[in-house]
Amino acid sequence: MTGLAPIDGLAVLAIAAKAAGYAAALLAMGGVLFVAVFRRLATPDVLRLARRIAAAAALVGLAVLAVRFGIRAARISGMGLDGATDATMLGFVWDSPLGVAAIWRGFGEAVILAVLLPGAGLWIALGGSAAVAVSYAQVGHSLGDPRAALALLLVAHVLAASFWVGALAPLRRAGAGPEGGALLHRFGLVAMGVVAGLAVAGAGLAWLLSGSPAALFGTAYGWVLLAKVAVVAALLGLAAWNKLRLVPALAAGTPGASASLRRSIALEGAMVALILVATAAITTVTTPPVNL
Amino acid sequence: MIRSAILALPLSVLAGAAAAHSKAEGTTPADGATVAEVPMLHIVFDAPMRVIFAALTRDGAEIAMDRETGMEPVAEFHAVPAETLAPGTYRLDWRGMAEDGHPMQGGFGFTVSD
Repeated sequence: MTGLAPIDGLAVLAIAAKAAGYAAALLAMGGVLFVAVFRRLATPDVLRLARRIAAAAALVGLAVLAVRFGIRAARISGMGLDGATDATMLGFVWDSPLGVAAIWRGFGEAVILAVLLPGAGLWIALGGSAAVAVSYAQVGHSLGDPRAALALLLVAHVLAASFWVGALAPLRRAGAGPEGGALLHRFGLVAMGVVAGLAVAGAGLAWLLSGSPAALFGTAYGWVLLAKVAVVAALLGLAAWNKLRLVPALAAGTPGASASLRRSIALEGAMVALILVATAAITTVTTPPVNL
Repeated sequence: MIRSAILALPLSVLAGAAAAHSKAEGTTPADGATVAEVPMLHIVFDAPMRVIFAALTRDGAEIAMDRETGMEPVAEFHAVPAETLAPGTYRLDWRGMAEDGHPMQGGFGFTVSD
């Protein structure tokens, strides 16, 4: 397989940690976005859940960031896990783009904790979400050419993904009764635009990083990306089913609609987890065709 | 440190020589070559590489070499076998970090003829 790096135990650990970091960052950013967008429509307990998830995810994100530094140090050291605590190796990681990204992401995740504060805390936390999104454009292949386009597309992609991912748990809570129907309906309308943006930004990134559609076949990057897109397509189908069938049923008070919707949203969460693992694998052990 | 480095080695050998980002554009000796003598070991990268770990092995046993390249990012890595290499099959495996922060690894093998 072209463009597939050796996968040893540390690489697997790196993929798992990176996927956990993605999940934490998306939940933290997305929880804040959810509160900002739906603060007038959502009930207090749904908003409280969103704020708590954002803050908890931000704390987990900070811990994962520290763990990822150790894993990266171990991977470059050739010393196995001993390298994770080696000051020289950690220094090399700190001096690399991951160090710059860590400053943005760590700062952003710490600032997101302000979402727990009343009043202006939400707007401060929004700034934190922006910093976390920007952090992803400080590292990896988004540093390549064309730098501005790659960075812009990646930040848009990450923010749009976080809006969706961060909304899942609060929406599942809102789906407990027919009174949540208005919020779920409204989310469906907003999400159509956001998800379209997510897909367009993702396609743009894939285009810039693969060079040509043909390059997707026969490269490790391409195959894992196609697998990711397949899960995304299934997720979109499920989301459409929720929006077009289950949410109207919930609003109409159809028996069983709440349970079906909540189960369906939980399944969306599981599919998101798969997508994040695929994304972490792509960015950890495969090389985009344009860089081969 | 050296012991754990050696312990980590079978993994990288098993994984083969495919490095993700950098193309090690050329090596001396060339990968798979049979040579009479090895005055120096040399890797050329297409972009600056911080080579952190490098080990020369013969049948899995580490063979001493003197690194002339430190751990700074370089386009070319140089090392010299500490002693004249006896006939046999050798591998040089390395790990490091590319400019964009990605961990990288690679290696090449060669044979010293009788």
